[in-house]
Amino acid sequence: MTHHTASSPVISLTNLRKRFGVGEAEQYALDGVDLTVEKGEFIAIMGPSGCGKTTLLNIIGLLDQPTEGEYLLDGKSVEDLSNSKRARIRAKQIGFIFQNFNLIERLNVLENVALPLAYSSMPHLKRLVAASDMLKNFHLGEREYYMPWQLSGGQTQRVAIARALVNDPSIILADEPTGNLDSRSSHVIMEELSEVHKKGNTIIMVTHNPNLTTYASRVITMLDGKIDTDTKDLTIEKPKVAEKKPLGKASKKAAPKAKKKRAKKVKKS
Amino acid sequence: MRPLLLEHYRTAKQSLVRARMRTALTMTGVAIGVASITTILALSNGITNIINDQVKELGSTVAVIRPVSKQSSLQDLANPTPQNSYTTSPLTERDVESIYELKDVQAVAPLMTLSGSVRKAGASPERSSILATTPDFADISKLKMSDGQFIDSVTLEDTAVIGTQLAVDLFGTEEAIGKTFLIRGQSFTVIGVMKRQNDPINYNNIDLDSAAIISLESGKLFNSGVAQIQQINVKAKPGVAMADFKQKITNLLRANHDHERDVAVYTGTSIAKPTSRLFSVISTVMSLIAGISLLVGGIGIMNIMLVSISERTREIGLRKAVGASNRTIILQFMIEALIISVIGGFAGFIGGYVIAFGISMFLTYDPAFSWAIVGWASALSVGVGVLFGLYPAIRASSKDPIESLRRYH
Repeated sequence: MTHHTASSPVISLTNLRKRFGVGEAEQYALDGVDLTVEKGEFIAIMGPSGCGKTTLLNIIGLLDQPTEGEYLLDGKSVEDLSNSKRARIRAKQIGFIFQNFNLIERLNVLENVALPLAYSSMPHLKRLVAASDMLKNFHLGEREYYMPWQLSGGQTQRVAIARALVNDPSIILADEPTGNLDSRSSHVIMEELSEVHKKGNTIIMVTHNPNLTTYASRVITMLDGKIDTDTKDLTIEKPKVAEKKPLGKASKKAAPKAKKKRAKKVKKS
Repeated sequence: MRPLLLEHYRTAKQSLVRARMRTALTMTGVAIGVASITTILALSNGITNIINDQVKELGSTVAVIRPVSKQSSLQDLANPTPQNSYTTSPLTERDVESIYELKDVQAVAPLMTLSGSVRKAGASPERSSILATTPDFADISKLKMSDGQFIDSVTLEDTAVIGTQLAVDLFGTEEAIGKTFLIRGQSFTVIGVMKRQNDPINYNNIDLDSAAIISLESGKLFNSGVAQIQQINVKAKPGVAMADFKQKITNLLRANHDHERDVAVYTGTSIAKPTSRLFSVISTVMSLIAGISLLVGGIGIMNIMLVSISERTREIGLRKAVGASNRTIILQFMIEALIISVIGGFAGFIGGYVIAFGISMFLTYDPAFSWAIVGWASALSVGVGVLFGLYPAIRASSKDPIESLRRYH
């Protein structure tokens, strides 16, 4: 299932710290995180609220900067990158999926999906064609001209995933992608992400739902700004959540074979 | 870059169309400011053009000498009796005689306007004016008579030439030759009626249709025998280089006036410089008011852009997350502000001309079109958009994407 390569890691974090507040209110959202992500990994990050999962995701996605520590992206430090260079990396290399979808209400589905391509200087028509092709991959070809409020939650998130993938990023960062969805829609979304992963993309997903970790090739749990457990690290005990049977009845109907395969692999790891 | 600019334009259009009413109201604010300025410029250009046309008609051989007036100051505006109005003109008969002696001079006409009433039993036209001058005035100003003759060296001191309108106002007819009327209580006989000029605004600063013209000698009698000359019109001989001619007169007058720079010689289009102090005061005040309305329009843009940015905080966060740099965000919102100001400015420009034409129905001249006004209107529109759009745009670009994406969760 995994697509690991022997080459240098895509993401390498060393002793990463992120401080919020000053004086007595000072606290570390990240307190010495060391993490290496290889190309093609599907990582699920879990942990209680406030443990630093989203902060970590934001730093990896270059939306935020660490207070201390080193972040190497494709072997290069991002510390001294200018604002515009960071934006360019976000435009070309990183795709974001948010819990609350974050589609622009006044744009139709097609325009929403095409949005990231605007910052890659692609002409308007080409952008729309690329967005249309991407939507067809997600079986939303017939919804191109719908407005976001005309879609169901699951469809909206699929549009958001299509948007995250439209500029062919190598890294997908998903922050609670199924947080606002019912279990059936959650399953569909995870299947989509799984498909994306199979194509070789690196996915880092933050979730509260232990059932979803079965889709991941690696599960990390965080606690108090630190990495508590990591399934990649053999010395760390395998997280119990990975053994749980994921998904509800609806998802069983949708993809029973795929589910069995994944469960086996998670047990192996 | 170009696809991105087009994208910004599309985004701005969508955003502005979505909030039609407030966009229209903001545009109206800019339009009022630009319209005010366009109206003033169109009307003042109209006046300048009229005088320019007159100067062109006269040919390029006329020079006009006027006293140099003190620059208007705010204190002058507040002063109910500006001292400048009562200052004696430095131009004298000696100047006129000296200029006559220059070899390039063909004709010289001193202009002495007199205060006082023109009347006849039962009729006292309010708008009439009295001008004392020499026979050369008709030659320089290319005056044509509809009846009778212009004053000359042999006409008597108690004779006058009058404008058509004054003839009608005094006698109820243009047939006024031989009729008498009173200037400051003295009786004058009409020896000529001028053809209608229809140019109440002119470089002589006198409406000849409503004027009574008497000889300079007669005028002096009303002023204790002293000529109080407000302007001297000089006509050069054909083929004379006007720059040299102007310099010669200037040097001559400097010598006459103890090297004081109290008079100025104008040639060509500079003759058209507005001579009326009142006009320049009104123009200044109106321009200030127009400037204030433009300022208010600009504040309207800033206000509406700040509201728009506040409403679209999450969109800004998202755009940053998918690759928009700070510069891109600034550009996006600047384009939006510019669309408002440029469309508002264009509407204001058109509206300004409509207002100017409306006002001109009550005036004796039409507003004029000039590319300079187009330039001013464009520069002001773009300037207001840039000036008042920049702060909201910078504010939008400096929004933290993480905080922005958290909004309305």
